[in-house]
Amino acid sequence: MSHIHLPDGVLPVWLWVSGFIVAILVGTILSRLTKREELTRRLPLLGMMAAVMVLGAAVEIVPIAYHVNLTVISGILLGPSLIFLATFVVNVILALFGHGGITVIGLNTLTLSIEGVLGYFLFRLFWKVLKRLTPATFLATFIALIFSTFAMIGVVSLGASHYEKLIHQEGKGIFEFHLSKDKGDHHEGEKKESEINLRRFIAIVLPLGFIGWILEGVITALICRYIYRLRPDLLHLEKETL
Amino acid sequence: MIQLSYLDYIAAERKSFLHRLSPKLKIVGMVLVLLGIVMLRNLPGLLLLYGILLAFFFLSRIPIKIFSLTFYPLIFAILFIFISGFQIHFIFLIFLKVLCGSTGVVLLLATTPYPSIFSVLGRVLPSTFVTALFLTYRSIFILLNILEETQHALYLRGGFQWRHPWRSLTNISNAFGHLIIKGIDASEKMYESMVLRGFKNKIYYRGE
Repeated sequence: MSHIHLPDGVLPVWLWVSGFIVAILVGTILSRLTKREELTRRLPLLGMMAAVMVLGAAVEIVPIAYHVNLTVISGILLGPSLIFLATFVVNVILALFGHGGITVIGLNTLTLSIEGVLGYFLFRLFWKVLKRLTPATFLATFIALIFSTFAMIGVVSLGASHYEKLIHQEGKGIFEFHLSKDKGDHHEGEKKESEINLRRFIAIVLPLGFIGWILEGVITALICRYIYRLRPDLLHLEKETL
Repeated sequence: MIQLSYLDYIAAERKSFLHRLSPKLKIVGMVLVLLGIVMLRNLPGLLLLYGILLAFFFLSRIPIKIFSLTFYPLIFAILFIFISGFQIHFIFLIFLKVLCGSTGVVLLLATTPYPSIFSVLGRVLPSTFVTALFLTYRSIFILLNILEETQHALYLRGGFQWRHPWRSLTNISNAFGHLIIKGIDASEKMYESMVLRGFKNKIYYRGE
């Protein structure tokens, strides 16, 4: 749910340009902080996990129009700095397949990486506290998804005035009853209607998102359990269990 | 996603004028299409852009079954119907923007082999990023092969059935887990063979 599926030309230019600038800045800082050899050595793993995320996004859960992101499990396996680069790459490829516009890549990277980075730290925290893999993974995924969904809603809300401009550009009122009212009322009504529409958007996204958070939480927990059974070394939990 | 290999096959195999055109020019063209999508705010302008893209699509003799891919992003644009308060003009505007973007991208991918695209991007973007992008794209093909095998195993274990949601979820999660583990094994082998061939931190494409 946290992946913004907005096409190009819908969000205001200042918003998506800021998204790109912040994403590039964060990416540059994180890649400077990671050792070059470490980054080079883990690039194939990063590519593979990014590909897993792309495939996860291709599996649409039709009734609720939801697809799993698998960002949290990728974050757990890659670590907080590499997951950022991975989400950047994933968003470029997803944009090529029509999951969100090319101009939205920066913003999508920021919202998705919130999920991955937060998921990684929450997983470590819950693992330390609970010492049980399945609940730790489920809770980390669930909470990380809540945060990233709200980040996505925040981004969509920031563009609200721009959608209004797009709707009004032909000089006609968007909502027919506006035409019969005077100018002052028009603006007031417009604002109100815009709020209502955003509320409508949130009212659609949150209940569907809630089902999605639970589904993805369960799927991530089960994947984590499967990996723990076969390759526990990948989760780097040994030190904490000793 | 399954059509990705077919798309790549068409890009490498077909010989239309657009296939022969320099990848650099096609990427510049894609940037211009994006600019058009961002700047144009009226239906006639967007219709004209879409018409031009459609003309290129059919002139470059791309199989018609690929054309359906351009409609896929419309699924995600449906949310705008609710945001706009069911305003027909706005919905058409958004749908046209989506169709222009997706047709442009499909046109680029179906007429340009992916190493050529990455080769051009490598001159503009940081090498680490382009290498990661290339490895991800390559890994998708590896994973699709693993997925094909996994699908058979998944089918034999009951696959996905609405009547048994928990079992279905477990099956899907195990399939993803299997995909991840196999993928990581493959990535380790890939890294070993890349190092053996002299990989440091940049992939060099033919002609560089």
